[in-house]
Amino acid sequence: MADADLVVRNDIRSAMWNPGGWKSLLTFFILALAWLAGFSARLFAVIRFESIIHEFDPWFNYRATHYMVENGFYNFLNWFDDRAWYPLGRIVGGTVYPGLMVTSGSIHWFLNLLNIPVHIRDICVFLAPVFSGMTSMSVYLFTKEIWNPGAGLFAACFIAIVPGYISRSVAGSYDNEGIAIFALMFTYYLWIKAVKTGQVFWSICSALSYFYMVSAWGGYVFIINLVPLHVFVLLLMGRYSQRIYTAYTCFFIVGLILSMQIPFVGFQPIRTSEHMAAAGVFALLNAYAFLKYIQNFLTKSEFRYVFFAAVAISAAIVFVAVVGLTWAGYIAPWSGRFYSLWDTGYAKIHIPIIASVSEHQPTTWVSFFFDLHILVCAFPVGVWYCIKNVNDERVFVVLYAIFASYFAGVMVRLMLTLTPVVCVLAAIAFSKTFEVYLKDDSPKQNQKNLDENGENKNDRLYDKVGNKKKIRDEKPKDEEGLGINVKSIIVVALLMMLMLFAVHCTWVTSSAYSSPSIVLASYGQGGSRTILDDFREAYYWLRQNTDDKARVMSWWDYGYQIAGMGNRTTLVDNNTWNNSHIALVGKAMSSNESAAYEIMRMLDVNYVLVIFGGVIGYSGDDINKFLWMVRIAEGEHPRDIREVDYFTPQGEFRVDAAGSKTLLNCLMYKLSYYRFGQMQLDFRSPAGFDRTRGVEIGNKNFELTHVEEAYTTEHWLVRIYKVKDLENRSEVKTPHRPIKKSKRKPKRQTVKKAGVIRHKPKITKGKKIKTSSAKSTSRSSSKPSAK
Amino acid sequence: MAKVIMKTRVLTLLLLHLLISVFGKLNQDSIDKNLVNSKVERKIDIATHLVKTVTSITLENKGTSAIRSFLFALDPSLKDNLSFLSAVTKDNKDEKLEIAETSVAGLSDKRFFRISLLSALDGGKSIVVEVEAIYSHVLKPFPLEITQAEKQLVVLDTNLFFYSPYPTTSQTTVVTTTNSNIESYTKTKPVSQSDATISYGPFEDKAPFSESQLRVHEENNSPFLTVTSLERVVEVSHWGNIAVEEHIDMRHTGATLKGPFSRFDYQRQQDGYASIKNFKTSLPASARDVYYRDEIGNISTSNMKELDESVDVELRPRFPLFGGWKTRYYLGYNVPSYEYLYYKGDHYALKMRFVDHIYDDMVIDEMQLKIILPEGSKNIELKTPFDVQRKGDEIHYTYLDTLGRPVVVLSKLNLVEQHIQDFELHYTFQKFLLLQEPLLVVGAFYLLFLVVIIYVRLDFAITKDEAKESRMRVSTLIDEVQSAHDRRSALYQSYDDAINKYKTSKDAAALTSSRKKIDADYKQLTQQIQNLQAQLKAEGSEAAEKVAELQRYDIQYKEQIGLAIAAAEKLVLGKLTRQQYLDTEAATTSKCEDTYKKMESLRSAL
Repeated sequence: MADADLVVRNDIRSAMWNPGGWKSLLTFFILALAWLAGFSARLFAVIRFESIIHEFDPWFNYRATHYMVENGFYNFLNWFDDRAWYPLGRIVGGTVYPGLMVTSGSIHWFLNLLNIPVHIRDICVFLAPVFSGMTSMSVYLFTKEIWNPGAGLFAACFIAIVPGYISRSVAGSYDNEGIAIFALMFTYYLWIKAVKTGQVFWSICSALSYFYMVSAWGGYVFIINLVPLHVFVLLLMGRYSQRIYTAYTCFFIVGLILSMQIPFVGFQPIRTSEHMAAAGVFALLNAYAFLKYIQNFLTKSEFRYVFFAAVAISAAIVFVAVVGLTWAGYIAPWSGRFYSLWDTGYAKIHIPIIASVSEHQPTTWVSFFFDLHILVCAFPVGVWYCIKNVNDERVFVVLYAIFASYFAGVMVRLMLTLTPVVCVLAAIAFSKTFEVYLKDDSPKQNQKNLDENGENKNDRLYDKVGNKKKIRDEKPKDEEGLGINVKSIIVVALLMMLMLFAVHCTWVTSSAYSSPSIVLASYGQGGSRTILDDFREAYYWLRQNTDDKARVMSWWDYGYQIAGMGNRTTLVDNNTWNNSHIALVGKAMSSNESAAYEIMRMLDVNYVLVIFGGVIGYSGDDINKFLWMVRIAEGEHPRDIREVDYFTPQGEFRVDAAGSKTLLNCLMYKLSYYRFGQMQLDFRSPAGFDRTRGVEIGNKNFELTHVEEAYTTEHWLVRIYKVKDLENRSEVKTPHRPIKKSKRKPKRQTVKKAGVIRHKPKITKGKKIKTSSAKSTSRSSSKPSAK
Repeated sequence: MAKVIMKTRVLTLLLLHLLISVFGKLNQDSIDKNLVNSKVERKIDIATHLVKTVTSITLENKGTSAIRSFLFALDPSLKDNLSFLSAVTKDNKDEKLEIAETSVAGLSDKRFFRISLLSALDGGKSIVVEVEAIYSHVLKPFPLEITQAEKQLVVLDTNLFFYSPYPTTSQTTVVTTTNSNIESYTKTKPVSQSDATISYGPFEDKAPFSESQLRVHEENNSPFLTVTSLERVVEVSHWGNIAVEEHIDMRHTGATLKGPFSRFDYQRQQDGYASIKNFKTSLPASARDVYYRDEIGNISTSNMKELDESVDVELRPRFPLFGGWKTRYYLGYNVPSYEYLYYKGDHYALKMRFVDHIYDDMVIDEMQLKIILPEGSKNIELKTPFDVQRKGDEIHYTYLDTLGRPVVVLSKLNLVEQHIQDFELHYTFQKFLLLQEPLLVVGAFYLLFLVVIIYVRLDFAITKDEAKESRMRVSTLIDEVQSAHDRRSALYQSYDDAINKYKTSKDAAALTSSRKKIDADYKQLTQQIQNLQAQLKAEGSEAAEKVAELQRYDIQYKEQIGLAIAAAEKLVLGKLTRQQYLDTEAATTSKCEDTYKKMESLRSAL
């Protein structure tokens, strides 16, 4: 009896204090909470507004997904969209990364299979928040492999709420990045796993994950350059091993073949310079492995000779092959987008359309702090720890950190690729610090045992090349000499910082990243909220009350929205693949009415849509973007459009009476300000007072001859004009004169001509850009060809 | 716009033909020569976009035989636009007379309705019957196109006289217009106009089917709003909720907008008289969770007022509707089922409105009602207040359905406000089927857990990991060693107990017997540990050495116990003094404790 009792008690004790059980329970709960927190932090827009697709590109993705769900996958792949790029059309199946659509489509299919009737829109809206949870899982796994599970938990929590990632994954932001960051981190995790184990299984898994990434986002180029770079650096460091050979060769071959299955990518992986690094490293690795094999049969001196010869020959062959193939046209040279990564001024001079996009601007220091907060400070510490305790996989994370920081500095949107590694490294820094400072001072036996175990584990991870002696020597030193008070102060300070980080994240998410941008909200003095739903008002009007085949001309920013919400044919949209077409639209917008009419007739335009924020003070309107239209038009039609003409002699861009006459008579100006001159917004300001630019407009009373107002929304935010048909009878000569008169009139008023000539030689395009406040909005079909 | 009207007209005609060909042969009447309309007072109301006529007919039977019914003919100018027809006698306005469409031989181009009287009309008697008829799309905008600032003018083109198969002795016609702005009207005397009414007549002794033009051209800015298509979906749940959703296609069917729409003028001068800015929809008082949206999301411009007898929703389309403009939206809400669903045993009855209020003086060209019943409903029977077309039943799948829910699909053309009446739907449903869905969920989770349990317990590896298996074997062996050792330690206690007992009772026999018993157990356990140690050794584990050490300590301990027993025996036999015994006991106990501690630490270090 007594002995049985004892045994039972012992059993219970061991179950209660089984550290493995508690640990996994805790891990599970922390990860579940991270997922939940990440998901709910992204719901601000849904709660404040509604379940709606945001911004610009998501509308195309949503439209494509909707098409796929209705017509099936094969029809989607073969989809020729005749509603875009009129009259050219767009082969959607071949010019899109289908991963996003396929992901949400298959979720929809699965739910429908279970008779759960969820609308595809809701799946699209909530896809990014759900995937952010999966991202935090994969970041946990990644950090666990790099450092330890504790740091992994930190990293998972950081990535769940860090604004740099939330900015692209709030509910409704249905974009490639939403799922791509998950694919990116998961591929890296599997790659690390493959490097550590040297198993074919893991490296095939990472190739499959890479395939998913390729199908989802153009940023896959970042993986296919970083992984070879990792291998290359490992070779240079003399860390070559059989494991790396297995991992990389499997990954490269399977990844290459799989990536070529995506129609949009096609033969690019073997024909463009961006992908050549991977092939080069593959050749190098094989050559190295071959040399290693030769080494077995040769003496040292012989080997040295053979080695140098082989290295020289192989390098020469690879170089000549790449150059030769490039010259022969088999390999495409670096693309302009790629150059712009190295030279930030490149795009401004050569590709204004890339430079015009706000998210392609260089990052400011402020935005680093804004997006990453305390993590950006802790992250170098993590890098330092990784370098100090270097091993194969930490080399990878260090390389990732270095390159991602560079690219994030070049382009705002590449902040996204930096964010995960910052989370990982900051997590390592915090975890390591807490490990030191949270430890109990009194050296208990058990604790020491545990420590030793932990250390042993770490040692097992380390390669033999690592210098473990040093680490051991330094550790006890750290522990000595710090009193309990110092430790607790530091711990409390760190906890405070983490708390502030959480507060900051919530605040940034709520205030900066949670606006759907197609529904605006303004707050009255009493705190009452007014919803400005003008965009949808206009698009719905187009959808309901224009001919099904009507062609709508607008600046490319609104192309996807018009197609998605208005369901009408557009001339240009956010997939800016055809610069000359966009330039033509820009030219129409910047020409005077009759010249624009000719272009519009030529392009078969029925309606023109402009965004005008002058009534409510909306700054993202077309007049503020106008200079980019002029610049892009000038790039293609330098004889008809000159940027200089749109500035005052002093080099200012202004719409008031002092503005340039060309500007005050161009189509964009007229469409924006038609009849606005008569409108008095309040009693303090004169009629025709533009709230956005804070001036009274310069050209007030004019009539439109070739277009007529078709619809203007309640707050004048969107104005739609109908292009009139040609007159039935040829006009009598007389009506021509007033037009001429109106042209002459401004000439008489100011000495514009002289100003233009005087300034013409002085003004260089590069300088002008600074004075303009032009801002075009997002676009993302471009590949962020990181590295 | 004209096209659509044509279309509806063609549709109505087609339907008419259908009706005529089906009912014509069965339902054929003849004109009774003995009937005379002795006095007819007609009121034509064109204040809204509908034409509402109320005709008070004094019917006189000049024959001798009693008459049970009479014929009502539709005016040729209106016959394709009839939406609603009802008749009461003047004396008894609560009870509606039965109306059936019929035809008359030789007059196939005309539309007739047979109105049955409540009681037979004997010869020589007369009765006053009031017939209310509502026609839609009769008022034509003239001019067809207007600019934003212009007012809308419409024209009514109809028959001045009462169109009847019977001769009419005396008749008057009163036309009520929207307001006093009347452009022109037919001036057939006697006629008088005051304010918003034009009175014609009395006209005496008109032959059957006599016609004369009546044309009124007036200003009418009332909303010419037409629901071109309405789909109403009623989803019944036996868990206490009925969800209603209406998909509404709407069009302004007045004069179309010519030229530009200027927001500036619209805001500043408040013109756009003929445009529709908003309208009010009354929902049932118990409506909850009302939503108003369209394909691209929520329409943020609406207000809701909860009144005692209804919930009024003020809807503003995304854009003001000018002539020819259209829009489309969804309006949905939930109502509790206890207000509409009645049951007795397994028999259920749903009693709801066939169509609900959308806006005042509404016109619905085409509507479809879908009633989704719970899964497993059978024996569906329908009772409607007016003729509707019942289409084939469909099947609808939603949350947790296996066989699908039956859907009753009904459709009807040309409805107006007077059609807001209840239909009844009877069906049977077995109550235990309610449990199906929860059980399904429970079952699914059960299966999931079962699969996980099985997965965790089985080994699916295709290769054997020797090292791992050996490690696992070692750990089980160590567990066994530990438990055996624990039991053995308990035996030490038993030895002590036996010794103490012996010391008090001095019963040598009891000691030997209990010692024998414990010894047997002890040997068995030691042997067991020995075996385990051998197995551990076979696995090549370091633990084997520790177990060996444990065994050594155990032997030491056992020796001490032997000593203690010997000392106790000596004490009992008197060979030792008490003092000596106490000394030896202290020595053995301390040694025992020492070894015990060592053994415990070894045990936990395994």
